Amino acid sequence: MTIFAVMCAGIFPIIHTGRPWLAGYLVPYPNQHGLWVNFISPLVWDVFAVSTYFTISLLFWYVGLIPDFATLRDRTVSKVKKTIYSIFSLGWRHSNRHWQHYEKAYMILAGLSTPLVLSVHTIVSFDFATSILPGWHTTIFPPYFVAGAIFSGFAMVVTVLVFVRKVFDMEQIITIDHLEKMNKILLATGMMVGYAYAMEFFIAWYSGVHFEFFVFVNRAFGPYAWAYWIMVSCNVLFPQLFWFRKIRRSIPAMFVIVILVNVGMWFERFVIIVSSLHRDFLPSSWGYFTPTLVDLGILLGSFGLFFTLVILFSRTLPVVSMSEVKAVAPNAQPTHHGGHLE
Amino acid sequence: MSRNNTGYIRKELPGSVARIGYLLFAAGLILGIIGYLIEPVRASYSYLTAFMFLVSIGVGSLFLVALEYITGAEWSTPFRRLSEFVASSVPLFIIFAIPLLLSMHSLFHWTHTEVVKEDPVLTTKSPYLNTTFFIIRVVVIFGVWTLFYYLFTRNSLKQDDTGDQKLTKKNIVLSGIFIPVFAITVTLTSIDWLMSLEPHWYSTIFGVYYFSGATLGALAVLTLMVVLLKENGYLSSRLTNDHYYSLGTLLFAFICFWGYIAFSQYMLIWYANLPEENFWFLHRWENGWQYLSIILIFTHFIVPFGALLSYPAKTNPKRLKFMSIWIIIVHYIDIYWLSMPNLQANGHGFVISWVDFVFPVGIIGFLIVLFSLKAKKHNLVPVGDPKLQKGLNFTLH
Amino acid sequence: MLNPLTMEDILNNNRLYGITALFDTPDEIIHAAKEVAKAGYKKFDVNTPYPVHGMDRSMGLRRSLVGYVTTFLGFSATAFILLFMFWTMSIDYPMVIGGKPYFALPAFIPITFETTVLLGGIATVVGLIALFSSLPYNNHPLHDTDYMRAVSSDKYGIVIESEDPLFDEEKVKELFAKLGSKKIHSVFYPEETQIPVFQPRYIVFLIVTAIAVSALTYVTLNKVLFIEPFSWMMEQDKVTPQEKSSFFSDSYGMRTPVEGTVARGFIPYPYKGMAAPTETLPNPLLPTKEVLELGKKKYLTYCSPCHGNFADGDSRLRGQFPNPPTLHSQRARDFSDGMIYHIIVNGQNIMPSYESQTTVEERWAIVHYIRALQRAKNAKLDDLQEVNKEIQLNVEE
Repeated sequence: MTIFAVMCAGIFPIIHTGRPWLAGYLVPYPNQHGLWVNFISPLVWDVFAVSTYFTISLLFWYVGLIPDFATLRDRTVSKVKKTIYSIFSLGWRHSNRHWQHYEKAYMILAGLSTPLVLSVHTIVSFDFATSILPGWHTTIFPPYFVAGAIFSGFAMVVTVLVFVRKVFDMEQIITIDHLEKMNKILLATGMMVGYAYAMEFFIAWYSGVHFEFFVFVNRAFGPYAWAYWIMVSCNVLFPQLFWFRKIRRSIPAMFVIVILVNVGMWFERFVIIVSSLHRDFLPSSWGYFTPTLVDLGILLGSFGLFFTLVILFSRTLPVVSMSEVKAVAPNAQPTHHGGHLE
Repeated sequence: MSRNNTGYIRKELPGSVARIGYLLFAAGLILGIIGYLIEPVRASYSYLTAFMFLVSIGVGSLFLVALEYITGAEWSTPFRRLSEFVASSVPLFIIFAIPLLLSMHSLFHWTHTEVVKEDPVLTTKSPYLNTTFFIIRVVVIFGVWTLFYYLFTRNSLKQDDTGDQKLTKKNIVLSGIFIPVFAITVTLTSIDWLMSLEPHWYSTIFGVYYFSGATLGALAVLTLMVVLLKENGYLSSRLTNDHYYSLGTLLFAFICFWGYIAFSQYMLIWYANLPEENFWFLHRWENGWQYLSIILIFTHFIVPFGALLSYPAKTNPKRLKFMSIWIIIVHYIDIYWLSMPNLQANGHGFVISWVDFVFPVGIIGFLIVLFSLKAKKHNLVPVGDPKLQKGLNFTLH
Repeated sequence: MLNPLTMEDILNNNRLYGITALFDTPDEIIHAAKEVAKAGYKKFDVNTPYPVHGMDRSMGLRRSLVGYVTTFLGFSATAFILLFMFWTMSIDYPMVIGGKPYFALPAFIPITFETTVLLGGIATVVGLIALFSSLPYNNHPLHDTDYMRAVSSDKYGIVIESEDPLFDEEKVKELFAKLGSKKIHSVFYPEETQIPVFQPRYIVFLIVTAIAVSALTYVTLNKVLFIEPFSWMMEQDKVTPQEKSSFFSDSYGMRTPVEGTVARGFIPYPYKGMAAPTETLPNPLLPTKEVLELGKKKYLTYCSPCHGNFADGDSRLRGQFPNPPTLHSQRARDFSDGMIYHIIVNGQNIMPSYESQTTVEERWAIVHYIRALQRAKNAKLDDLQEVNKEIQLNVEE
């Protein structure tokens, strides 16, 4: 899911260049113009962040799949599939001498991926926060965006899981307990996002800068107020229902709420971009932005691409890591082992 | 659940601990009063720094207690009581605040109403930054924290005797309420006492910044206590390298988190270069403050990052003790860096005075005294906690 | 029991790779690993469908060094990227962007972090696969055996290789039977195949890939880039040199300038077309060394092909009709500077105008040079004395 989302996301900077065939210029390589990319620009930071994120996620995902490819290779009867699985499994033979390095490498990748994940959305937030626009330039953006990313990410995972566990008959593997824990994290990150809204608003008033305060009043009560209140209710209000255990453990309720969370997070981006920009410093430039069919087409296209990739993946590759699940099944580990004493 | 099963045998702390505590506290108190008489403004600022240091560690420890309950963590149960002891400083915050409330006029520009009247920015803020509302906030926030402290610890201590699982459930519900309340109140506290020292400046991430330092300080104090007490047999003998590793990992993680927040705040303000924001950092880059700023980056991030990166480092008791003390000191320097430049914003430059050392010494003494008093009355391990056995059995592999 | 020696194996006389044994529970395989290690075998391996806790210690394996690869290459990447950004932004093509310094360290931090993680991660994976596991290795003897199928699924296996110095077929089978395995069998090396590179399927794969890549490259670079929208920026509305124009009736894109247009840096000569200038044109330049050098250069370029290198009229055009004259004739020596200038601009008889090849300054410099040549050809004794003095000076120095 990560990889597919990153792929969809990575398309957009290329679209935004306006001349997508020149996308190679975003990468610093020696060229005949003698030019380099502007390393000071947050857009270039984005290039590095998204590429790194895509690469590391791909590697992480692939490394996790190697033992499963090996199992598939050993179980398939189709010669073609066997060849393909043999290539991708690299000849993995489940040797413990390899498992030892594998475990270490996997843990290192996890340890690298965690700050990477935080850094990617931090750098995206820098796209906005390094500007001088009121409503955009504010120091809380990095942790706010990261919390928002985790928030919408978990919401999407729950959305997908609700389907996958039903369709693939995995209700015993992906249980209600798992979903409940995710909903608790949704509640927590939703409140972090709400905290950020409150802080922005308070400091906008506290700062005494009229432009800053105007932006926030305009968000809540101007022409785009409808978007703002959808955002607040979907991101802050509805997730509060997850305080109640019954709702956390109810599939229909959680499904509705997480869809609303994704809607709310989309509107958060909309509010940040559109309602901050449509009325900035020069009143003669004020207007009301309406998206065209092209905008909507691109948006729907990205959803379509994402879901297509997810479905293709679900059909061809193991959605659950077989070797990892085997390792935590009951009686999977030897009975006498413990932490080392000092 | 017999005591022997937990590997914990309650012993009295040696009397020397309390004595050192009293000594340091008395020294801090007496020298502090002298400082107030000689250099009242400087002493106010120094005392404010020490006070915010105390608040960060005290309420940070209370946050750690709540965090354990809300996440359902078991590995930290064997030493959660130590954080409860440190958090017992919370009800006393209001007492420590009194000298500051009396010297508000020399600390905060916005208390000078004539200045505020002339300044349109300060006038806009005056519905929030005025003496009355400030005092109300202080009293209410410290009151709320005190209430939560008593509720948490009452349940925890009662559980030592009854082993009642319902008390854990109560504390879980309590932490669910406490944590959002804590987020807002610790933000307001940091804004009120530290950010408003420079009332023209603002940063939306300031609350998070203070929070990261507070949690880090509380974790460092906890780690230090755990290693010291375990080594001398005051905690359960069943604590292992895996517990140390988890504490070391949390320390490392919060070092990284602090670095991340600090960098975000700095870089965004540096990048936009707006005069109404960057002057705060420019003050910390001139007149000798630049040296402290660079020292802060090295000692608060680079050195602990390298020192706690590897697995062996996180399980080595000597390393953990050393880095905990290091982090506590460096956390103090962080708060010093936040507050003291405002004293010298009139271009006096960075000058350390003996007054600056007096109050932290006193605060540390106070914490030691508090700890030893609590340790006399209560178990150092929450023996009735249903999660205790799992916590002692905790292994990573 | 499942795979006794097949006829094929006996007939092919394949070498024995080792003996394998399968077990059903993790406890059994841990025990087996410990025993095999204790017995002194070194070339043995354990195969499990997932990593079993404690196996590393039971087998006596040393700690994995993957982490060092990560750290080393990760931090090398940090150094590299910082140096790279420093070089590109401060040395190779420095530009002031947004008022930031050339080496904008806060702005470089995000990229530094990302590159460190990227290279650290890639190093880890490449290290894991290629360096530490020596994969890919698809024709290992254990592949395509019942043992591998079992171990891929839900059984735990151990294999002792025949290359181990302590290996003895009977002893090993005895050991495995003692450990409780019900499925012990031998594994043989696969048939020797021809050199992998020359296998037909590999060659076919190569050819197919080569064709596919060439076709794709050709289509992309020669066809795709020329269709819309990729071609949009190639066809622009502006008129490039030599381009046809649909706007003008004569279809020329390039137009002659309007009558009276004066080129930049060009001063129109008022006496063009006349026999001689009507007023005296003084030489505005002084005969300095620079001017004479310029004059010499331009003379040699434009004048010497006809008039000769030293203005003797002895160029290779000598002998044709009309002969390019020598410039040392009395007539030429009597010309005023302005007249020589006039001839250069206007031309004379068959000599064309050199107005478009030379600038005003260059023409006057040529005049000076011609004068210098004329003087050299008809030098007086005083001139020689000057030259001798110059030579003396140079010799003394």
